[in-house]
Amino acid sequence: MSPYGYQKPLRAVSFICHATQAAAVSLVGDFNDWDPKAHPMKRMPDRSWLLTINLKHGHHRYAFLVDGVLNLDPRAQGITRNDKGERVSLVPVS
Amino acid sequence: MKKTAKTARGTKTKQAASGLIHPIIIYPFKQPNDYSDLEALYALVARLASEPESYARPITIMDRKTFYTMEGNRAFLEFRDNTVARHSETLDAWCVDTCQMWYEGLGAAFERGADNDVYWLIPGDFNYGSTAGQEVLGGLHDLPEIILELDQDVCVGEIATGHNNSKHLIDTYGTFALLYTWFPAEAQEIRQFTERPRSEFFALRHGFLREALMQRWYPYEQTVVMLLQAVFSKKRISRFLVGNISDLPEGREPLAPALQQVERTERVLKSVWRERNQFRGDWVELYRQLEARSEQVRRAAFTILQNHLT
Repeated sequence: MSPYGYQKPLRAVSFICHATQAAAVSLVGDFNDWDPKAHPMKRMPDRSWLLTINLKHGHHRYAFLVDGVLNLDPRAQGITRNDKGERVSLVPVS
Repeated sequence: MKKTAKTARGTKTKQAASGLIHPIIIYPFKQPNDYSDLEALYALVARLASEPESYARPITIMDRKTFYTMEGNRAFLEFRDNTVARHSETLDAWCVDTCQMWYEGLGAAFERGADNDVYWLIPGDFNYGSTAGQEVLGGLHDLPEIILELDQDVCVGEIATGHNNSKHLIDTYGTFALLYTWFPAEAQEIRQFTERPRSEFFALRHGFLREALMQRWYPYEQTVVMLLQAVFSKKRISRFLVGNISDLPEGREPLAPALQQVERTERVLKSVWRERNQFRGDWVELYRQLEARSEQVRRAAFTILQNHLT
């Protein structure tokens, strides 16, 4: 919350990961301090993984952690590096 | 400096972090008869000009040859005076090519900028009035914002094209093949981020622009050289998809200019390579070997482009 009581609006964003053979997938990014436990993704009937979370307005870095391995989102709108220098995906939220 | 959300389509507000964004518009060298694309572009420029807390006064760079070719044309003069000059500062310059227009425009903006500022290049010769163009126009603002928000040095805007698009063919069989010949490690790094190393859509941070301007000896293919410099000095690179024109009818480029673009890339890469390696004792022999390989690559590109573009 800002000192003026204004809070940046949140928008629901859905992430889909097509790792059909994976045992566990989680969403990691700047928004959860790259914590693998913060946002586990849910397996869908077609064996892909889905998660919808609320994100603040702006650009966010993220990746899929597929069985412990960092994966880019092939459908992402951008690519950049995280603070560790790993290539990660970019999502704009407006 | 902080700012809350507002805003008209095509501009995104949010905090300007700690720097101003400097938009630099490269006015088309050849004035189109139909002004609809430029009108769409300058509608965005007008919005940027109306947000001085986030954006510096936009700069439009116009080649004097464009002006003198059109000086008797009333529609052009009216557009120049009532739209271009109203929403931006017009910088008139004699330029030998588009790259010199970039250099003039970015240099002028740099002189007015400060340490945390970001410079945003907007090419004018794009079909912004079309549906695909509107999509591109609506996503361009992301480039400088990514730099500010994520503390990047350069952000390249990419437009998705079909595999038979001439730009795609030139980049795949010309630009990247030559880059892998002269700078294999750097080419690999660049390709991890973008398939369009000659994109005219980009934004860059003040400190990196200073380096790019000071080291700018090469007359062509500015984006390729800039990306190489970014990799050499381990700058933070991002890529952002600003639009998709793969579904549009193919805008085929004639063979001659396509070949010229490949040849120019080769000349630039040779110059950069010599500059970086001329102090090695064995540089002449190495250069001869690379030049022989480079010629093979260029000839192969020639054949492929000839097959696709004629």
